[in-house]
Amino acid sequence: MNEKQTISPPRWALRFFRWFCDPECAEDIEGDLLERFEKRTNENKSAKWLFSLDVMKLFRPGIIRPFTDSQKLNNYGMISNYYKVSMRNILRNKTFSFLNISGLSVGIASCILILIYVNNELSYDTYNSNYENTYRVIHYYGQQGEAPDYATLPTKEYQVWGNAPVAPSMQEYFPEVHKVFRFTSDAPWLFSYNGITYSESNILFADSTAFEVFDWKVLAGNPETALVRPNTVVLTKALAVKYFGEENPIGKSILMDNQEPYEVTAVVEIPTNSHFFFNGLISMSTFRNSRPSIFNAWGYVDFYTYFTMKPGASIDQLKEKVPAFLEANFPNDFNYHIDFEPLSEAYLHSDAGRQPGPVGSMGNIYIFTSVAIFILLIACINFMNLSTARSVERAKEVAIRKTIGSQRRSLIYQFLVEAILVTFIASILATILVFFGHSLLELISAKALPIDWLFTFQNALVAIIGILIIGVVAGSYPAFVLSTFRPITVLKGSFKTSSRGIWLRKSLVVIQFALSIILLAGATVVSSQLDFLQKYDLGFDSEQVLVIDFGYDGEVQRKREYIKQQFLNHGDVEMVSVSRATPGDFFPNAGTGVADPISGEITYQGPAIYEVDEDFIPTYKMNMVAGRNFSDDFPLDSANALILNESAARLFGYPNPQDIIGQSFEQWGREGKIVGVVEDFNYVSLHEEVEPLSIRFGTQFNVSVISLKLKSVDYSKTLSELERIWNNAVPHRPFDTRFADQNFDAQYDADERFGMIFSVFSTLAIFVACLGLFGLTIYSTAQRNKEIGVRKVLGASTSRIITLLSKDFLALFVIALIIAIPLSWYVMNSWLDGFAYRISLGVEVFVISALVTLVVAFITMSFKTVNAALANPVDSLRDE
Amino acid sequence: MGKHQLGEFEEVVMLTVAILTDDAYGFAIIEEMESRLNRKVSIGALQTVLRRLEKKGYLSSELGEATSVRGGKRKRFFHLTSAGKNILQETKEQRLGLWNAVPEFVVKFSH
Repeated sequence: MNEKQTISPPRWALRFFRWFCDPECAEDIEGDLLERFEKRTNENKSAKWLFSLDVMKLFRPGIIRPFTDSQKLNNYGMISNYYKVSMRNILRNKTFSFLNISGLSVGIASCILILIYVNNELSYDTYNSNYENTYRVIHYYGQQGEAPDYATLPTKEYQVWGNAPVAPSMQEYFPEVHKVFRFTSDAPWLFSYNGITYSESNILFADSTAFEVFDWKVLAGNPETALVRPNTVVLTKALAVKYFGEENPIGKSILMDNQEPYEVTAVVEIPTNSHFFFNGLISMSTFRNSRPSIFNAWGYVDFYTYFTMKPGASIDQLKEKVPAFLEANFPNDFNYHIDFEPLSEAYLHSDAGRQPGPVGSMGNIYIFTSVAIFILLIACINFMNLSTARSVERAKEVAIRKTIGSQRRSLIYQFLVEAILVTFIASILATILVFFGHSLLELISAKALPIDWLFTFQNALVAIIGILIIGVVAGSYPAFVLSTFRPITVLKGSFKTSSRGIWLRKSLVVIQFALSIILLAGATVVSSQLDFLQKYDLGFDSEQVLVIDFGYDGEVQRKREYIKQQFLNHGDVEMVSVSRATPGDFFPNAGTGVADPISGEITYQGPAIYEVDEDFIPTYKMNMVAGRNFSDDFPLDSANALILNESAARLFGYPNPQDIIGQSFEQWGREGKIVGVVEDFNYVSLHEEVEPLSIRFGTQFNVSVISLKLKSVDYSKTLSELERIWNNAVPHRPFDTRFADQNFDAQYDADERFGMIFSVFSTLAIFVACLGLFGLTIYSTAQRNKEIGVRKVLGASTSRIITLLSKDFLALFVIALIIAIPLSWYVMNSWLDGFAYRISLGVEVFVISALVTLVVAFITMSFKTVNAALANPVDSLRDE
Repeated sequence: MGKHQLGEFEEVVMLTVAILTDDAYGFAIIEEMESRLNRKVSIGALQTVLRRLEKKGYLSSELGEATSVRGGKRKRFFHLTSAGKNILQETKEQRLGLWNAVPEFVVKFSH
């Protein structure tokens, strides 16, 4: 004993040697070391010291283990074994792996696509370097005599569209304000260059400070001076290319509206995630020269005002000074107030009226995010379900591994590695799916959805962490439960899936189907609401109404009666009307005074304004409820008559429309009598109630569109004939047409797209859920193979066996239904609250979605159950 | 052939392996070299050369049976391959050729 201790070599040296030595040659070299050590001890040399020295001298290239392996010390072998076993498992169970991987990849891809969409929505306006410091003015135009508490007035009561003088007054009054920028609502202009003439929509007048407030990319020209002089125009890249191609447009002149040449001073590009959009900017000084008076009129509404704050200045302090500011600047001749709204809230969080562009919806973002999470959850549940279902098979594997000496920890790793590997393969597939799906999503959402932000080092890390998390979540149940199996019970053969496993599997199926039903019910509600909107009786008929937009062209305005007559001569034209706008278009509001029903004094309100001719109401088949329409028989109608809608009549205090006929009115410098009341019609989207509207006779200069009621069946023929008539009458003006109903429906574009995206992803979710159900059915029928055989031998019919196999699922489905209905009822009800005119949520929505889910589920299961029921019992029983 | 020249130490190791024939394992080679040439050889130096020669195909090796001596570790026995034999032969002929070319008196004088 004593001797043995003296001859043992230094432990540290030996351990060090074992650590660094290439495992290839570790054993024999260690043998040599020990043999030499023994010999030296016998020779009474300082063996320990020499042993250590020998070890040190072995620490050299050629003996040290290869570098690549050095990080994988200890666990490398196990991990590569995990990998190998996982690969084998994946390849052995091709069906299950296919179901798992396809489900997960669809889930991950949908999730990423939704993320791309949501990220794009959230990124609006963030391209501006002054993003945090930019605000806009929102205006309140209240009813005369009412004095609400402005401090608590909700932003919903305000509108973004406002007047011109507020901007320069703010610049002057507030030292905190850095730059103020105004632009007007858009209008179409006629652009001509080198003989090409097009009507361009979305052209705005803009202040010269544009580029100091917004960071649009200036591709050519000097942004500082671009919008200073009158008669200058800034083009977007698309327009510049359209007219100038390869030429340098800077300094060239474009003939505007066939009248004046405007000089092109800059070419810009607006990011797609800007909350308003334009095709061209004309310098504000141009507008000021043509109508100087409105630049001092606090009541003339046509401007959007944005401003930046000086660094360090506080918007709250600015808001406190608003009353004093108005006191000092506003002539106080009507009920008016302003408030400020940060740019960061402009796209998603603003409920102010009259926005400069389409707004997003935070609610939709929440809905989409939940859908993304749902789909991923369903896919993960698939994975867990299939793994637990197969646990009996895997139990033997676990038992044998444990018998051989595997620790629980390594079994957990084994299952986790398998799950992560499946997730990894699925995410590679998902990436491919995303590339295909991305262009599809862009098509559906009609938005450019940049994805370059995805490819950063950070996101690569996020992706890896995401794969790990999904893998761990999906693999956690099999990993932690399977690894607890006791080898002795399993190998004895008395092992069955634990009841806990079945319970969990069943509740997961319930969750999956509850989610599917929720999504499907959602999709059903969205589509029936959209359907409802399309079919809703708007109070006017815009079907078969062709609209020609001539953009206030002076020539057309002058010839309007002649053109009307020419069109009426065509056999397919029933009715022709000239107006400022058609339902669904942009319209102004105006301060309008009507005699009070009791005192007879003129009270002022701000209803919307339509400027039309005497044929407008019949062309759109609107109904008069009192009084009369404008008429040729009353030549003075163009100067002293006004028509209101029912809500406007109510607004002025006349619940019975008859009573307002003949009352005096005052509007935009016109005085006279109210001649008629038209039935309320929905002239803006059905998201809102019908607002008060006044209809006045449009003078020659205030009209910009011609509406033609057609009775044609062959539109292409009629259209080309109408175009010929147009070109004969006004050859300089392009024949720019659209159908009125399309125009009105364009208001629901955003809803329509939301509905489409929602249904696509709901379908995907149900598809993924079905994949899982299919897998479970395969498994459970395989389990009951013998039972089915015996039953068939005893005379059970095919349909009985199919019922037997599907019955289990039915119970789960009912539970899922009970969970899903209240949830989806709540969610969809709050979605519908965004519409003033909405369907009521009936039972049928839930019946439909439940039935669809049920039928799809049964069809999915029938692929396997029918097969099993038809199988010859001999096959399943012969080995018994 | 002939591209690679054996180093002095490599040549000595290979010759020792040849001498020991069926009993050429790490420690035995060291013992043999130390006793015959009277020079200290470290295990590190020897093992590196052995691995290198094996990689070049001049030596082959196999593990022996485990025994109770040397902590139960197996020995790795080395053998000359035919390529190894060839290069030894070649080296020897080169040396002899050189010796033959040396004028006799020089060698005598140096003695």
